[in-house]
Amino acid sequence: MKKTIVILIVAVLIFSLPAAAEVLEKSWDEILNEADGKTVNFYMFGGDRRINNWVDTFVADNLKEEYNIHVHRVPMGPDDYLNKLLGEKQIGRKTGSIDLLWINGENFKIAKENELLFGPFAEKLPNFNKYIDKDSKSVTHDFGYPTEGYEAPYGKAQFTFIYDSAKTAEAPSDFAGLTAWIKDNPGKFTYAALPDFTSSAFVRHVIYNTCGGYEQFYDMGEAEFKRTIQPAMEYLKEIEPYLWREGESYPATQAQLDNLYADGEVWMTMGYHPTKAAGEIEKGNFPESSRSFVIEEGTISNTHFLAIPFNAPQKEAALVAANFLLSFEAQYDKMIPANWGDFTVLDTEKLSEKQKNKFKNIDLGKATLPLEELEAHRVPEIPAKWVPIIEEIWSKEVAR
Amino acid sequence: MFKFRFNKWYPYLLLSPALIVLLLLFLGGVILGLSQSLGYFPVLGLEDPTFKYYLEVWSSTEFLHSLAFSLFISFVSASLTTVIGVFFAYQLLKMRNENKIINFLYKLPIIVPHIIASLMIFLILTQSGILSRFAYHLGIIDEIAQFPRLVFDKNGFGIIAAYLWKQIPFVVLMVYTVLKQINGSFEAAAKNLGASESQVFREIYLPLTAPSIASAFIIIFAFSLGSFEIPYLLGPTYPQTLSVLAYKNYISLDLTQRPYTMVIAMSLTMITVILIIIYRKILSLISRYHID
Repeated sequence: MKKTIVILIVAVLIFSLPAAAEVLEKSWDEILNEADGKTVNFYMFGGDRRINNWVDTFVADNLKEEYNIHVHRVPMGPDDYLNKLLGEKQIGRKTGSIDLLWINGENFKIAKENELLFGPFAEKLPNFNKYIDKDSKSVTHDFGYPTEGYEAPYGKAQFTFIYDSAKTAEAPSDFAGLTAWIKDNPGKFTYAALPDFTSSAFVRHVIYNTCGGYEQFYDMGEAEFKRTIQPAMEYLKEIEPYLWREGESYPATQAQLDNLYADGEVWMTMGYHPTKAAGEIEKGNFPESSRSFVIEEGTISNTHFLAIPFNAPQKEAALVAANFLLSFEAQYDKMIPANWGDFTVLDTEKLSEKQKNKFKNIDLGKATLPLEELEAHRVPEIPAKWVPIIEEIWSKEVAR
Repeated sequence: MFKFRFNKWYPYLLLSPALIVLLLLFLGGVILGLSQSLGYFPVLGLEDPTFKYYLEVWSSTEFLHSLAFSLFISFVSASLTTVIGVFFAYQLLKMRNENKIINFLYKLPIIVPHIIASLMIFLILTQSGILSRFAYHLGIIDEIAQFPRLVFDKNGFGIIAAYLWKQIPFVVLMVYTVLKQINGSFEAAAKNLGASESQVFREIYLPLTAPSIASAFIIIFAFSLGSFEIPYLLGPTYPQTLSVLAYKNYISLDLTQRPYTMVIAMSLTMITVILIIIYRKILSLISRYHID
């Protein structure tokens, strides 16, 4: 009797060992096998219909055909899924409901610090080893925070402004020009209320251009940071009377701001994807005369990533899905503006001539700025830890 | 065995499945909220109950502005709803022939979800909405900015409009049901003795329906006070109603801020409890004069 109990206990203990370590030890073939017939619950920001559609059609169809994996997209963004994972981590829930996450920046930092992620898995993906420049700063660091293989690169984004060329003959060329434009066209410009991701980036541009550049922020204490960004808050308060509704209220989300732009209530909007204007024109949402512009001082560019939660129920399927999203086919299709227009993270050095040409020949649309111009006007992100602080100070000082 | 059925605890036993769910989920939530608002959150390492969160929140201008904003919206919308609703209910009563179409139509807003109601207000009342385009085509305004700011404004006009649309049918339903029950001979007798229309309404119908009007008012007031979707979608960036403020605090990724959210939630609960007490007081006062 005693013996059976001991054997039972040992068996229970063995089977309840976390499977995480085991997954990373499997060979890629074993992982493919394991993933066959499974479902990947892909939690991602759902505010862009084009992206949603691309995942639901191209990604889902291909994963089904090639690997027999069913993709279940859930439109939940980091604000909500991080809370969910934090709660699950607290109560020690071993099997969650999220397999794959679309994440970057301060959200990744919070996830990593709170041990919400599974990994390091990036090196396990064949396409990561095949196509990605592993030493590139934009892969090893996310908003200045080390990724350490806990997230795999997905796409590249650069912040651009969008304006209506039918209403504004010439776009402002630099930050001062933008300020002048805002003052000359009262009520025709606004930005979404923080903590919206895109408008948070807009405020960072204001900080870069009113507080003396971005380099200083890499090595700074919190109190000093709060003091240094004061000029930016002053600037935002200064332009308030010239904003939509005199800054009495800000659109709650980027989607609402896009709506205001599409309706002609404001004459400019913004986005993290350089191809946003082209894509929206094709879908019939933005006026045909929309064009993008960047400012001379440069706009913020960053990489966005894929990660897997610590308690993902289908880790193998998530790995296969992440690997597919890093494949040439997926990255190429993703860059076509009508689908998404997100720039690729693949290292051009590692591509064949044919693949390089295919990328070159994508028609990015009239409304998109040429790659050279975008690259010439690029600035990096500041460390992730500053973002929540900026949002908090904005709420206190500007929103009132 | 048969004696058991007449045991006085038997009905409670039958009710216990529903009661357990109610107690565990609802009361459990309230108790958790209360303990977290007092700073007792052992999972996070907060072990000592304290009143400091209450003091901090209750003295912050953001909370006070939100409280004033919530109370203002709820009071204005509940008052207007009640007045208009009672008026409509009385008109319905005066229509001697029951009109099936009207009877069906007026109840429609009740079944429409609040989110759809906010979308409707958004599409109609915003500066790029239907009313505005109408005004533009009629030549009343020349450009978008001339249309008045009815949504996302600091007075909550859009929010009140949405509540009005949703709640007036509810009041009409509640009051009309009671009005119908009132014996028609009261009115006949009064008219016979020379009472005017307004006297009939003021002296007969109003006092008799007062309890249901008061209860309708309090129900609407309490509901709109805690309601989330409409102020979230149609409200300004500042001030936000208490429910939206609580949500914004809740989704903050710094979990040690959780007690602040719970304080706001507890404050809402306290106000609701006070409203319930007032409601019962009113009921007992008026029922003393209720003639059946």
